[in-house]
Amino acid sequence: MPEVSKMKKPDVKVVLLGDMNVGKTSLLHRYMERKFKETVSTVGGAFYMKQWGPYNISIWDTAGREQFHGLGSMYCRGAAAVIFIYDVTNWQSLAELEERFLSLTDTANDDCIYAVVGNKADLTDPKAQQLQDSDAASGTRAEGTLESTEPQVFSACPTPPASPASLSGLMLHKQVSPEDAKAFYERILRYKGLDEKSSLPADKMCFETSAKTGYNVDALFEALFNLVLPFILRKRNEIQVSPTVDLEECRGGGNKRSRSSCC
Amino acid sequence: MDRDNQQADEAEGGKICDPPADTLATSLSLLGNHMFPERNYIPSMKNEEHNDSLYETTEDQSEEAQADDVTKPETEKAECFECQESVSSPPADRGLEDATCPADSDHADSGEFVVTMLAKAKLEEQGLGVEGQSSPLLEAGAQDSPGFASHRDEDVTADSWRQHRKHVFVLSEAGKPIYSRYGSEEALSSTMGVMMALVSFVQSGDNIIRSFYSEEHTVVFLHKEPLVLVCVSSSRQSERQLRGELLYVYYQIISMLTQASISRIFEHKKNYDLRRLLAGSEKILDGLLNLLDSDPSFLLAAVHCLPLASSLRDSLSQILQKAITPNLVFSILIARNQLLTIVQEKTVIEDTRLEPADVLLLLNLIGASSAFQAGEIWTPICLPLFNPDCYFYAYISYLDPPECTVCLLLLSTDKEAFYAVAECKRKIEGAMVAQNSLSLIAKVQPYSVSQVGVSDLRHFMYKPFDVPDNHRQLTQFTSPEMEAPYSSEEEQLRLLDLYRYMHSRIHSTSRPLKLIYHVAERETLLAWVTSKFELYSCFSPLVTKACAITAITKLLRWIKKEEDRLFIRYPPKYSTTPNPSKSSRAGKSDQQDSTDNGFLSLL
Ligand SMILES: Nc1nc2c(ncn2[C@@H]2O[C@H](COP(=O)(O)OP(=O)(O)OP(=O)(O)O)[C@@H](O)[C@H]2O)c(=O)[nH]1
Ligand SMILES: [Mg+2]
Repeated sequence: MPEVSKMKKPDVKVVLLGDMNVGKTSLLHRYMERKFKETVSTVGGAFYMKQWGPYNISIWDTAGREQFHGLGSMYCRGAAAVIFIYDVTNWQSLAELEERFLSLTDTANDDCIYAVVGNKADLTDPKAQQLQDSDAASGTRAEGTLESTEPQVFSACPTPPASPASLSGLMLHKQVSPEDAKAFYERILRYKGLDEKSSLPADKMCFETSAKTGYNVDALFEALFNLVLPFILRKRNEIQVSPTVDLEECRGGGNKRSRSSCC
Repeated sequence: MDRDNQQADEAEGGKICDPPADTLATSLSLLGNHMFPERNYIPSMKNEEHNDSLYETTEDQSEEAQADDVTKPETEKAECFECQESVSSPPADRGLEDATCPADSDHADSGEFVVTMLAKAKLEEQGLGVEGQSSPLLEAGAQDSPGFASHRDEDVTADSWRQHRKHVFVLSEAGKPIYSRYGSEEALSSTMGVMMALVSFVQSGDNIIRSFYSEEHTVVFLHKEPLVLVCVSSSRQSERQLRGELLYVYYQIISMLTQASISRIFEHKKNYDLRRLLAGSEKILDGLLNLLDSDPSFLLAAVHCLPLASSLRDSLSQILQKAITPNLVFSILIARNQLLTIVQEKTVIEDTRLEPADVLLLLNLIGASSAFQAGEIWTPICLPLFNPDCYFYAYISYLDPPECTVCLLLLSTDKEAFYAVAECKRKIEGAMVAQNSLSLIAKVQPYSVSQVGVSDLRHFMYKPFDVPDNHRQLTQFTSPEMEAPYSSEEEQLRLLDLYRYMHSRIHSTSRPLKLIYHVAERETLLAWVTSKFELYSCFSPLVTKACAITAITKLLRWIKKEEDRLFIRYPPKYSTTPNPSKSSRAGKSDQQDSTDNGFLSLL
């Protein structure tokens, strides 16, 4: 099966950026393999191909280490979406995004979309701590459509901890608030010279996730993939391969993927 | 650091001065107090008789002992005769033959080790037990399992920390900690500060500190501007072997950062914290140190390829040879961390051969960095012995997910070539599917020593060197699987320690030997170096000298017969340089320019 999908040309490119240790590899691994396991610090960049309905989405998991900084703009070249990832327990990891990683997106596409993701939410939020039994969860969620998962993003009052009190007693201090992330998102738009009104709103593009529990991980990737669909369609139209593609059909494809991944 | 002194030191080749005893002794005892506080610590400076070049070129160690060698392994009669000649000629070896020490029968071998070590170090003769030594193999095993507790968190004041068999520290000339095998660098910054004080103190007297010995430890220094590497070992390896290991650590760091960028960084800022750039690479260095303890490739400076029917190896090579793209320079196929085949670009390597050390470091880097193996990795990497100052771009991908045992490694000089190189992988993958190569590779086994058909022979390591041109590509060695009685990790380590001892005797700088017949307590070993090969063999303890020599003759004949299977014999080449009309030299410098651009943009 991997042989078949790998033969195809990628339709679109998504890049994960962020400081080392924020959990880029873990997030992608959780999404692709539905597992959380020990990682080693990434060297250079790692290329993945994700089948999304009829489309092939290439994903670059880059190394956060300073050692590989110079390669970042190469990985970003022509990207349709960039996911900036920080660690909610580490303020510096958000600061690094602005200092070191934002400028790497200069080589990205003009209409590239940006998401800001605070990972390791399980360490600070009881609601993110509950293990999302990935198989069962994705099965039910697939029916519920994406919209139902999106409100999870920064829902104002967290649901009471489902875990024992002792566990929530171990909660770490949350160093980055959702507002900080949203403010950073606005600054991305400004850096890119994009108009806030015509761009995707911060509410939709800022996420908190946990690669460890799976919290919000599918929601993040699926929302993003849906958002890059227009990009794919335009690209396909440009090269006149398939002049008309029904958007609904693509969504259907996306859901099919979810369903098949649970078996 | 004083650059002029350093230059002078390099030229002078390491005499050690008599520094004012008080200051030096203070530094040493400070260091000693931290590292081994309970021990009766007697620092002792050792005059280093080696000259610089001997350890600077670990990879070529073999050459020194062959100089006046006349043995011809092909003529078996003469060979046996000469064996006996050489066995009996050096008087010290006769001593070794029956050197088992009855008083300390449990640790006879180690006792002998120690005597040799101490005699060399001019220290009081005190035996070392092997009790309480942790096995690096066991540690390696623990590291491999997911979720191991990191050695970084170790309490550096605890006894268990001191008892590690081998510590390795890397620091900057400003005394800033860069790496420590055990314990966090922060916790060790004062220790490293003292180490640097020692180095600079001795250096201020126009000298280089190379090593010193305590009762149980050998402390070896390697100063490679602008880094200082220190090894504190109770492994009883020779100083030279330990320095060779430090050199591998140094080169592994270079393989990630390049020499040019490290020098540039420290030129700009002497007290730069290099951990910023090495952060995340600790596991690569940890992995290397575990391999240095458990894999004889590093000791022999040779690569071990998987034994493979030559027809299969040839067909794999041809698959690689056909899947090329401009600026591709090496295509390497690896199974279970051993080489299957390697194909090279013609012009790049016409006048430079690929060094085993570069391959070994590359294999370690891949092994340590590809935990999430479903992706295709694209990363800059430097081959320090090929060129320490520029990067190649490595494409790394596993061909058999999810098992991930067969790995394809493609090296390009073009930073932008990822998609073109990934396309080569698709071709290779397709061809391998068509030829069913993966299932054939899956069946490949390391061989058993029993195939040689010599009953008393338990294990061996054979490294040919002066073989026809096609071998000169890459120094290789062959070795059977370690089987009973060497199945446990402890026993494997013990055997490797014996080999290390034999190796240090063969390559002794003061008195190199060509042949050693060594009766140890639980086995008998024979090491032999000629102009054509280097051989280490291990027999059951009951073997007689005559038997062992007959066995070696048989073994050499067997290896000759199996040569095509045991070694990569005729590695094919391809041509990917855009302008093939250029001479090889021009072609090469052309290649390097393009890497250099990549390298510059990386900074
Ligand atoms: N508690 C918790 N730990 C996490 C989470 N995601 C990752 N980690 C841990 O954070 C560490 C780093 O994770 P990686 O995924 O390797 O980080 P990375 O961003 O890929 O790092 P680089 O490859 O060096 O850039 C690992 O020890 C993970 O186990 C999470 O959601 N929750
Ligand atoms: Mg990573």
